[in-house]
Amino acid sequence: MPVERRSSVFTLPSNVARRIRWALCPALLSVATLAAAETVPGTHSRCVIDDRDREVCLHAAAQRIATLSPGATELAFAAGAGDQVVAVVDYSDYPHEALEIPSVGSHTRVDLEALVALSPDLVIGWTTGNPPEQLETLASLGMPVFYIEPRGVDGVASVIERLARLAGTEATGQNVADAFREGMADLENRYRDRDAVSTFYQVWDEPLMSINDEHLIGQVVRLCGGTNAFGEQQRLVPRLDDEAVLAANPEVIIAGGMGEENRDWLTHWEQYTELEAVAQGNLFFVPPSLIQRPTPRLLEGAALLCEKLETARERR
Amino acid sequence: MFRQLSLPLVLLALLALAAVCMAMMVGSASLSVGDVWAVVRGEGEGLARTMVLDLRLPRALSAFAVGGLLAVAGALMQVLLRNPLADPYVLGLSGGASIGALGAMLAGVGGVLMSGSAFAGALFSTFLVFGLAHGRGGWTPSRLLLTGVVIAAGWGAVITLMLALSPAERLPGMLYWLMGDLSYARTPWPPLLLLVAICLALVPLGRNLNVLARGPQQAAALGVDVRPLEWGIYVLASVLTAAAVTTAGSIGFVGLVIPHMLRLLLGNDQRLILPACALAGGTLLVLADTLARTIIAPEQLPVGVITALLGVPTFLLLLYRSR
Repeated sequence: MPVERRSSVFTLPSNVARRIRWALCPALLSVATLAAAETVPGTHSRCVIDDRDREVCLHAAAQRIATLSPGATELAFAAGAGDQVVAVVDYSDYPHEALEIPSVGSHTRVDLEALVALSPDLVIGWTTGNPPEQLETLASLGMPVFYIEPRGVDGVASVIERLARLAGTEATGQNVADAFREGMADLENRYRDRDAVSTFYQVWDEPLMSINDEHLIGQVVRLCGGTNAFGEQQRLVPRLDDEAVLAANPEVIIAGGMGEENRDWLTHWEQYTELEAVAQGNLFFVPPSLIQRPTPRLLEGAALLCEKLETARERR
Repeated sequence: MFRQLSLPLVLLALLALAAVCMAMMVGSASLSVGDVWAVVRGEGEGLARTMVLDLRLPRALSAFAVGGLLAVAGALMQVLLRNPLADPYVLGLSGGASIGALGAMLAGVGGVLMSGSAFAGALFSTFLVFGLAHGRGGWTPSRLLLTGVVIAAGWGAVITLMLALSPAERLPGMLYWLMGDLSYARTPWPPLLLLVAICLALVPLGRNLNVLARGPQQAAALGVDVRPLEWGIYVLASVLTAAAVTTAGSIGFVGLVIPHMLRLLLGNDQRLILPACALAGGTLLVLADTLARTIIAPEQLPVGVITALLGVPTFLLLLYRSR
């Protein structure tokens, strides 16, 4: 387990520091004993390493959790800690129970006062989505902040396991994480070595945007045996024009977007009859909520995307 | 004479105090007046204490300091450039700071490093304008203004380029910074101490500034050493603006409108206008920020939007009624 290996590296400096303290301050021995008692790992029953490689420790399972991104909310519920979530941010729309939980603003600007008023004992922050200043302020108020930045299948499963550890719902979390890992592995075994299908995934229409191979969706395309038409691009989310898509001439076009139905995004491509995807009728839609968030629902989205690519293979 | 100067200042100081008190009372979490009063007296239970002393008060003081710094810097720039349209950002300083801050955000660093980067960008822009405005010929306010405006336009293009090339998840933070937002403020003390120090330092310069506002020739004829004074104002205004921008992003409007508003009300005596700017600018920003964080809570608005929405009608009304 990479998590455990990292945690041992991280506890080493504090051990050394404690030894130095003992050696240097014999006069303050009693004080040092008290201080050491505060930091002995044994008194913290629950310690995990977050996605910024920090060690987050709780005395007891978190009972009041604040999730500062829609993805974090979903992951907390997936870890079985849904009942302990007391604060979410806007657009935390899944599962439906999350809609009942008070919102403390948007993930880009959190209303700290409203958050503090709900007195959470654990804050799930999003490393690249939440303002670092605000998370640091929360930490300085003595709130444990667990940073998440799940990338890839393993990242999602491991966040669920660690959240479950902090929330004391290990059994549920482990089941969900295992089921997710197995489900994704099944898809990979089934589709990975099928004939390659050149795929263009459209994240947005104005400006026209796709994803490269490092992106989570890019990983799913690869897992389904597709080759991402813009996988080689430098940027995670490259901005393109129609010309680039025509030049790449993908066999399949898959649209995402904001809502759950973007028919007009796909009809836009029908004017280019020379595109292989148009000639074959391989214009598909995969609900973005199933594939754009790094959560267990990704399994459903990936299965859907794999099916679409399989349909394209059958039409050859 | 002294009483003439001090009465408006006392009134403005009371207004500022009232604004800070209001900022401590009002928030998205409802605390009663009694709760807040208990905290102020050093009592009160944990949660109310955290709200008032750790969240509301530092933010209100930061807002006050930033507003004061911007208004004083604006007033100084207007004297220096003898141009009513001058504001702290007219010479491209906010552009330099923005590039520093946005660059830090793109590199994924926040906190102290981002503030340092913004400050460095602001000072770089200042020295660039300073160096280029000299040119081959003599130095004139219009030359300084043109150099500054053109460099600001250049920074604007670079900012747009950075926004266009940055990853989508970083955009909201960057846009908020550009609009000016006090949730970036960390500790209120550096800008607040700077504001107090500068106001005290400007007291003996008041008479010279009054003369300079009438034109450099008149000032020289009246025995003012114009060149060092002008450069001194430039550097001072730049440091003030850099400190403000570093604390809370580029908040527009305060530096332009507060000095004009006070001149319409109090006349153009720099000995009065400069400290009055510090108080009134701070008050406006405290009020604006209180609204920004409560008006549609829990959503948080960038404070720059509110300063303009509050300031524009007030200023237009004063301008319309003036003779």
